This record gives sequence, structure tokens and C-alpha cells, in this order.
Amino acid sequence: MALPKLEELSRSVAEDPSMATGSVPTREWMDIPVVFKSGNYAYPAKKDKVEYLNSQKGLSFPNARVWSPEEDDWKLPENWKEIILNGLKERLDKFRSLKIFMDCCVRCGACADKCHFFLGTGDPKNMPVLRAELLRSVYRNDFTLAGKLLGKMAGGREMTVGVLKEWFMYAYQCTECRRCSVFCPYGIDTAEITMMLRELLHTVGIGINWILEPASNSNRTGNHMGLQPHTFKDNVEFLVDDVERLTGRRPNITFNRKGAEILFITPSADVFAEPGLYTAMGYLILFEALGLDYTWSTYASEGGNFGLFTNNEMMKKLNAKMYAEAERLKVRYIIGGECGHMWRVLHQYMDTMNGPADFLEVPKSPITGTVFNNAASTKMIHITEFTADLIKNGKLKLDKSRNSHIKATWHDSCNTARAMGLMDEPRYVLDHVVDWVEMPENTIREQTFCCGSGTGLNTDEIMELRMRAGLPRANAVKHVHDKHGVNMLACVCAIDRATLTSLMNYWNPDVRVCGLSELVGNAIVLDGETREELDDGLRTL
Amino acid sequence: MIVLLDFSLTEISRVAWRIAVAESLREQADLAEALRCHRQKIVERWVKYALSSYQSPDFFLREGDPFANPIGGAMRQAFDRLLPLLAQKPERLEFSEILRQFVQIRAVQGLVPSQALAPIYAVKHILRDILAADKERAALVANLYDFDFAVDIAALAAFDMYMESRERLYATRLAELKSGRHILTDGGCPSKTLHPVGDDG
Ligand code: SF4
Ligand code: SF4
Repeated sequence: MALPKLEELSRSVAEDPSMATGSVPTREWMDIPVVFKSGNYAYPAKKDKVEYLNSQKGLSFPNARVWSPEEDDWKLPENWKEIILNGLKERLDKFRSLKIFMDCCVRCGACADKCHFFLGTGDPKNMPVLRAELLRSVYRNDFTLAGKLLGKMAGGREMTVGVLKEWFMYAYQCTECRRCSVFCPYGIDTAEITMMLRELLHTVGIGINWILEPASNSNRTGNHMGLQPHTFKDNVEFLVDDVERLTGRRPNITFNRKGAEILFITPSADVFAEPGLYTAMGYLILFEALGLDYTWSTYASEGGNFGLFTNNEMMKKLNAKMYAEAERLKVRYIIGGECGHMWRVLHQYMDTMNGPADFLEVPKSPITGTVFNNAASTKMIHITEFTADLIKNGKLKLDKSRNSHIKATWHDSCNTARAMGLMDEPRYVLDHVVDWVEMPENTIREQTFCCGSGTGLNTDEIMELRMRAGLPRANAVKHVHDKHGVNMLACVCAIDRATLTSLMNYWNPDVRVCGLSELVGNAIVLDGETREELDDGLRTL
Repeated sequence: MIVLLDFSLTEISRVAWRIAVAESLREQADLAEALRCHRQKIVERWVKYALSSYQSPDFFLREGDPFANPIGGAMRQAFDRLLPLLAQKPERLEFSEILRQFVQIRAVQGLVPSQALAPIYAVKHILRDILAADKERAALVANLYDFDFAVDIAALAAFDMYMESRERLYATRLAELKSGRHILTDGGCPSKTLHPVGDDG
């Protein structure tokens, strides 16, 4: 812009090189180094957690140490470069998809503006195509002929500490939400590239605490919270008390009961933190209304799997308890609660990783007789499929007016929407329990925007980053709030419930967040209930 | 006599005042008309300037759908609504409402406050440039005192909101910590209080 005063204005405020650096001329992206400062990175994993995980059979989390991204020296192993390049080679041989993703991008740019991290930051390295290029440039340099001969001219670059730091920055500014892949004509899944980046980083001891500590808790006690069996049981019992206080009916629950028809597994956040607690009360009311023959497990006390955000082996190990427990208890099949990434693991990997679960039966609703053939291989169905089927068959007594204090909208969680296609069932359930409206078309269903804090980025030290990553989601919520008076954002994901709560606190403080089963629980009319007028449904004090 | 003089002086000053008011109203009307006439051009350049603070602004400039492009959309909307107000007597509250989304966005983008809010001032320079190039209205450039004042009021309102946004950000962080989820990583499982340290069950 040729206005001298305007240029002065830019210069006077643009000296600090930050993510959005005034009108400083942009350089080649490869030449812009990353700068770590408080607030733009998640804390590294604690030494003892890494040591613990590394000591576990079948797991590898080497180079436990105290280190800080802000310091120049990351205390890498001496042969770190060799480890990374060998690791890459091994993965290129093992995962054909990775090799294809490395080779087939034509840089058409269709994905470039589809990532919420790019939309909230304007940082080109958050364009999915460039995020992948962070790895692809190294791949080109060391694994393709053109790169070996022409180096930078062929888009290759050498693996350096600077590149490694860049990987850490941008592999943890991707929530593996897969929105970009919906728009790629070649189906390149940048989420899988991020997974590889994170795996490779772990081979030299680079990982974040918010992921590794829950993973180690899960390995130890079965759930992210580190709740021991008796505490898990106590927490569920507290919720039973609450339901009784509100409705006059005391849900009948059991734990680790052999021979139950169904095993119920849900994220531990459901029984531990608001607003998940209300969702869990919803499950209790639903199962009580049906008299369902089911059991909770204090061993498989976590649906979530932070292993997904670390490496293949960790994911597999944490997932294994689901089938192991189902087999031990001799149930017929599993119902899963409201979680996002648990369903990604389940739907995409569980059968091959820990299956086949031929000791289980294809899920069949004991109430309606519906057989869920879609789960013929995994033997596990989503609570929302189960509920939608009950409503369709007229098996639930619902009073929608009990949610009349709520005007809802629906957030499709990335994992349930894009990784398992659960899009119509929740809408069908909503229609029957609450007054609700859709957000704009390009922000829902397959095109849904991430909460901005998935894949273990839901930690408070990067709150600012999360708020900008969540902007596209919050922006669509703001629209329906302003236009239709929406005051509740409903979803089926435990991470979403927590992270969207923070997102709304910042962007749209009039909007609260709930799980779908909370709305169902609010609306269910139980036989013999003595429920009074509850102004705020299950949240009424 | 004195009374008479006094009377006529009052009369004169009243007339002068009326003329001044009429003049200023006319100027205000002229400016409003100029802003109407050049609205699109001013807003485009204003938005372009604001977006130049991002490393890769092309898409933000190009994409018109505010849901596909929340940053560009929020800026366009804020500046487009703000501009006509700047030719009127400014109402702080109105400014706050209009600028809210823009400021909330800038407050979480790793910018220092001056970087975050500088784009608001840019309109002073852009308007001058555009008026100067318009022969019929070039004279207005000499008389933008009220306009500049309105921009200042808008910027002050934005500073308040910037601070409010930062406070809300910290409150959000605090609320998350208080919700108990931090226990997830502090190894402080509630059941641990029932057991001696080091007993991992
Ligand atoms: S997977 Fe999601 S977060 Fe990652 S690059 Fe694609 S759109 Fe962005
Ligand atoms: S849409 Fe696919 S092919 Fe096009 S740039 Fe993105 S990853 Fe490459």
C-alpha cells in the first residue's frame, strides 16, 4: 500500500516477530524458523511419565529427560537424525498409505484453506498441504532420486534440528480432524501425516505431557483420570444418588458383572467432570427406563484412548482392554458412550489391531430386536444408534417440554462424523427431545469444524492457541445464537464437551455445552417417577 | 444602552452559532455522503490493510463466505458497519458491539495490543487518500477533525474490549483448571488421597 503514513503505522507496531507479523515481507516458508514462547506450545512430558511408559512391555518412549522447547538445546540423543530417518524409512515400508501420501500430492491447494488452524491464524504452515510438506520435504531429500540429485530445487531439504522443531510446532497444531481430507481430490489424509510426525518425534523423546500422562494413567488404572476401581465405582454411585434425588427413581447399576448381556464403556470424563456428569446421568436414566441387562467395568473404565495421539503400539495396548474385558465378563456385545476419538480407534483400527472379537455376537437390541449389522465386525455400537432405534420403535416415553428451557444446535464431532459417519442418528434423536437448529451448511456434517482442541491439545497452557483454532466453530455458533437464540451446543464427544465449554466461555458466553444423552435423560418419563419441575433439567441443583 | 448592546451581542453570537451549526451539519452531511459514495472502496482498502498483518492473507481477502473465512468475514463486517457511524456523533456502546468480534479475534492471535488494534486507525489515512483523489470532495480533507475524533473514540472502545477479551481468556483458563480436569495430569487422582504416597494401586 503506497501510503507513507500507513506504512509507518505498520512499522510502528510490527517489530515484534509473532505469528502475524505486520506487513513484514514474507519469506520462503522453509526459511522462517519457529519460535517457541510461553503460550504457543504444550508442556513437554514429565520425565517420570516417559520413564514409566518406556518401561512397559511392547512400548517405546525413549530419551526421558527434563527439557524445554524454549531452550536451544533439546537434549536429543546424539544420533537423533539417524533415528528419525530410519524411523521414516521403516514407516514408509510398513504403511503404504504414507508412501502414497508422500508421492501423490499435486499441490492443487484445495485443502489449503480448509484447516481451522489456518483459518484462525493465517499462518501458511497451518495449511494442510504445507503441514504435510514439512515431512514431505525431508522424504524428498532422502528418499527420492530427484531430491537426492537436486535437493532444494526439487523441494527437498535436509533434516536439521530446525526442521525437527518445526515438526513439533506444527504436528501439535493439527488436531487430526481430517477436514482437509474431505476436500482433497486424492484423499490425502493429513491427519495420518501428523500421526507419523508425532510417532517420529516420540522416537527421539519429544512429546507433550497432556497426552503422555493420561496415556500412562490409562495404562496403569484403565482410565485417563487415573481413577482406581473403587473411586470409579464411587463416582458412578454419586450419580445414581443424584438421579434418585431428581427423579425419585434409583437406577440399578452393577460393576464387572459376569454374564451381563451388554458391557457399557464410556470416557471416564463422563463420571468425573462437568458437564459430562449430566451426560452420564442421562445414560443411567435411559438404561433404567429400559431395564437393560448391562454392566459397567472398573477395568475397561475408559473409552478414550490417548494412545491414538502417540503411536500405534500405545493405541493398540490401551484399546485391548475393551475386548479383553468383554471376553472375561462373557457379555454378548458392547455399547459405547459419548466419545469422539474412541470411535475413531474403534471404527478404523480396533478390529485389525485387537480383533477379531469372535467371542462376541453381532449387536441386537434386546428391546426392539434390531440387529446392528453395521457393527458386525467390531461388535460395538454407539449409544446414539441404540437410542435412535429405540425412539424409532416407540420404546421411549419422552416429554420434549422438559427441555423447553433449551434452544440447541448440533456440533458434529470430527471423529464421529468424519471417521464413522454418525450424522443422521443424533439429528433424529434431537428432533424428538429438544427444539434445535442447524449451523450453516459448510460447518456441519462431513464439513464440520473441529473444537480446536482435539488430539490431546485440550490443555490450558495453550488456551490462546485453542481459542484461535476454535474460531471457525465458534463463529458458526455465534451465528445461530444471534439469529435463533441458541443457548446450548450439543455434541457426542467427551473432549468436545470440555473444550467447547471453554471455547464458548470466550466467544459466546451465553451458550452452554451438553452431551446428547443429557438431553435424552432430561426428556425421558420414567415409570413411577416423582420428578418435580426441574428448571434446568438434570443440572437443577 | 448596555442592555441593548448586550442583547445584540447575544443575538450576534446566536446567529453565529446557528451558522456554525448549520455549517457543521452540512459538513457532516457532505462527509456522510462521501463515505456512502466511497464506502466499498474504503472498506476494501481498510480490510486489505488489516489483513496484511497475516502472513498469508490472500484467501482471507478473496473468500466472501464468513463461515468459510471467519477472520476476513469479521473484519469486513465490522469495518463496513463502522464506517457510516464515523460521520455521526459517536456512541461508544455502538462501537463496542460492532467491533467485538474483530477485537476478540485479534486478542488471541499472539499480537501485542498495538499490533492488534492498529488497523482501526488506518481508516484515517485511507479516507484522506481517497478524498484527495476525488476532485469534488478534495476540500473535505481539510476538515476531518470530527471524523478523526470518532475514530479515536472507536479505538478507545476497542482497547477496553481488548482488555476485556484478555481477561475473559484468563478467566476461561481458570475455569477450566477449577473444573477439576487438571487433576488429569497432576497425578492427583482423588483416590490417591486415600493411599500413602507412592502407592499406585
Ligand atoms: S487434519 Fe484437521 S487440523 Fe490437521 S491439517 Fe487437516 S484440517 Fe488441519
Ligand atoms: S488437496 Fe490433496 S493434492 Fe491438493 S494440495 Fe491438498 S493434499 Fe495436495
